Amino acid sequence: MEKDRIKQAYLDYVLRKGAPPVSVFKLTKKLGLPEQEFYRYYASFEVLDRELWADFGREAYDTASKEPVWAEYGTREKLLSFYYVLLEVLKRNRSFALQALRRSLPRMPGLTPRVLDGLRQEFEQFAAKILQEGRQSGEVASRPLLENSYPRFFWQQLLFLLNFFAHDESVNFERTDAAVEKAVTLSFDLVGRNTLDSATDLVRFLIQSRR
Amino acid sequence: MPDSPKTIPLDSLPTTKVARAARFAKTGFHVGANYVKHYAKRAVGAESPTSELHEANAAELYGALSEMKGSVLKVAQMLAMEKNILPTAYADQFAQAQYQTPPLSGPLVVKAFRDAFGKSPFDVFDTFDLNARQAASIGQVHFARKGGQELAVKVQYPGVADSIRSDIRLVKPIALRVLGLDEATVRPYLQEVETRLLEETDYGLELRRGQQIAAACAGLAHLQFPSYYPELSGSRILTMDWLPGQHLKEFLATNPSQAVRNQLGQALWDFYMFQFNTLRQVHADPHPGNFLLRAEAGGTVGVLDFGCVKEIPAEVHRLFTALLAPETLADPARLTALLTEAGVVRPQDPETQRNFYVATMQASLELVGRPFRQASFDFGDPTYLQSLYALGDDLLQQPELRQQREPRGSEHFIYLNRTYVGLYALLTELQAFVRTA
Repeated sequence: MEKDRIKQAYLDYVLRKGAPPVSVFKLTKKLGLPEQEFYRYYASFEVLDRELWADFGREAYDTASKEPVWAEYGTREKLLSFYYVLLEVLKRNRSFALQALRRSLPRMPGLTPRVLDGLRQEFEQFAAKILQEGRQSGEVASRPLLENSYPRFFWQQLLFLLNFFAHDESVNFERTDAAVEKAVTLSFDLVGRNTLDSATDLVRFLIQSRR
Repeated sequence: MPDSPKTIPLDSLPTTKVARAARFAKTGFHVGANYVKHYAKRAVGAESPTSELHEANAAELYGALSEMKGSVLKVAQMLAMEKNILPTAYADQFAQAQYQTPPLSGPLVVKAFRDAFGKSPFDVFDTFDLNARQAASIGQVHFARKGGQELAVKVQYPGVADSIRSDIRLVKPIALRVLGLDEATVRPYLQEVETRLLEETDYGLELRRGQQIAAACAGLAHLQFPSYYPELSGSRILTMDWLPGQHLKEFLATNPSQAVRNQLGQALWDFYMFQFNTLRQVHADPHPGNFLLRAEAGGTVGVLDFGCVKEIPAEVHRLFTALLAPETLADPARLTALLTEAGVVRPQDPETQRNFYVATMQASLELVGRPFRQASFDFGDPTYLQSLYALGDDLLQQPELRQQREPRGSEHFIYLNRTYVGLYALLTELQAFVRTA
């Protein structure tokens, strides 16, 4: 398909040259396509960038969920597994990924760079799904007022990990692996049933008893 | 190995160097505070026995160390072996470090396999248990099957090799403070420890050594070594046979007969003497977690973990042997000469100090070398163990040694001493009667 060819050619170009092509024309000429062929699918390189990131997310999910133990995993392991596979995918395209991350991440912590919008959508859907499973199994505490913002909370975690990855200088990004492990453990200590729930429970009980 | 995984959850691990440093700074402060409390109590005349202080410090230090894992845990294990030089309270706390570590998550184990083989452990093995059966200090052990063979698969924590150097730098000031030593003089010793620790993270090296030593020791009775599988191993994964048997504590709980214990002790003794005298390299990590015992065939020892192997230079071997020889003990001049050569006594030492060192060393050599001067030795004799510990306590109490504040002797002796202390500890726990000649 033309669309995939264009995408692949663009990715290869960035991986090889370390920067996007100067113009759409340059890229399409290489492919022997008329320039408007590109615009049939994408408005600009930025849109293409976004789609590539979303593809990374989809690929990570597909690969991770094909793992034979996937069905046995709890929510925590599913999330870990997704992160690790995503990092593998990024490592395979590291020149593209690191360049995009380093360019767009540091500006404002907490804000999502536009280039990651597509990935974000994919990820939040995935997170909502596994969190739902987690609530059914009791791994994630049910907190009606808070739980709708969990996917956003986990997206922040992924942003943090991507940032860590972009600045990691250890061999084979081993420190990022450790960071993933610890960040996920912490987040599941938070979303699992913990002190907060017991405290809420007690307060609710006291309020009700006063009547 | 125990059938049920021991996964005692510890608190989360601080990763970055800053976080680790912060954790250590906290410990340093607490240890300091414990001393302040101790002296404050003393000043107002209250009874605050030193052992109480040691206990408080040890708990504090262990709390910090167990969160660090990896290399620090190794240091903790090593200190635990040195029951002779450490007050008992420290040693007991550190002994815990030998079994407790937080596990790697399942997906991370899968990832380690993807890194090494490009496929998941379920494709590599017929069956693979994602729950670790046992924690090793820089990794964890999984149970797997392939082609009907039961396998133990060791998986290393990510980034261990990377963090050892910085860990040692962090441990140093605290260790120095707790043990009351001076920085410059301990440098060669820490260097030696660091080298061994780094070697331990190299699973490729461990595999080669395991094969080598197992092949060389094939002729020794009642020992069992696992076969290693290079095609199923990588830099962070090590696959070997799953050996049957129990760790020392559990094994002793089954009340093995004296004959079995003797045979096990004999096997261990022969194993170490053969390594020391013939191979000139020793499995320098004789803590109970590395041996699997069973009563089969009158007592068989399974030897695991060749991560820490100390090669013995010919010079050091000669010195060590000469120091343990009965003639040396009877001849102070010869002893002084040997001690000078070993760096324990220095020519510029004042006469009284030199005499003191020689006398102290003579006393400890008499005790430590006793098994070597007899045809057979009963490690079950409680008085021997007591006098060994008493000697350790005694040395700690000596004002001359306490003020010395600098370790002496060759740095090669660290791991040799550790090996002997570990071996003696195993043999005394087994209460084995061993033919030592």
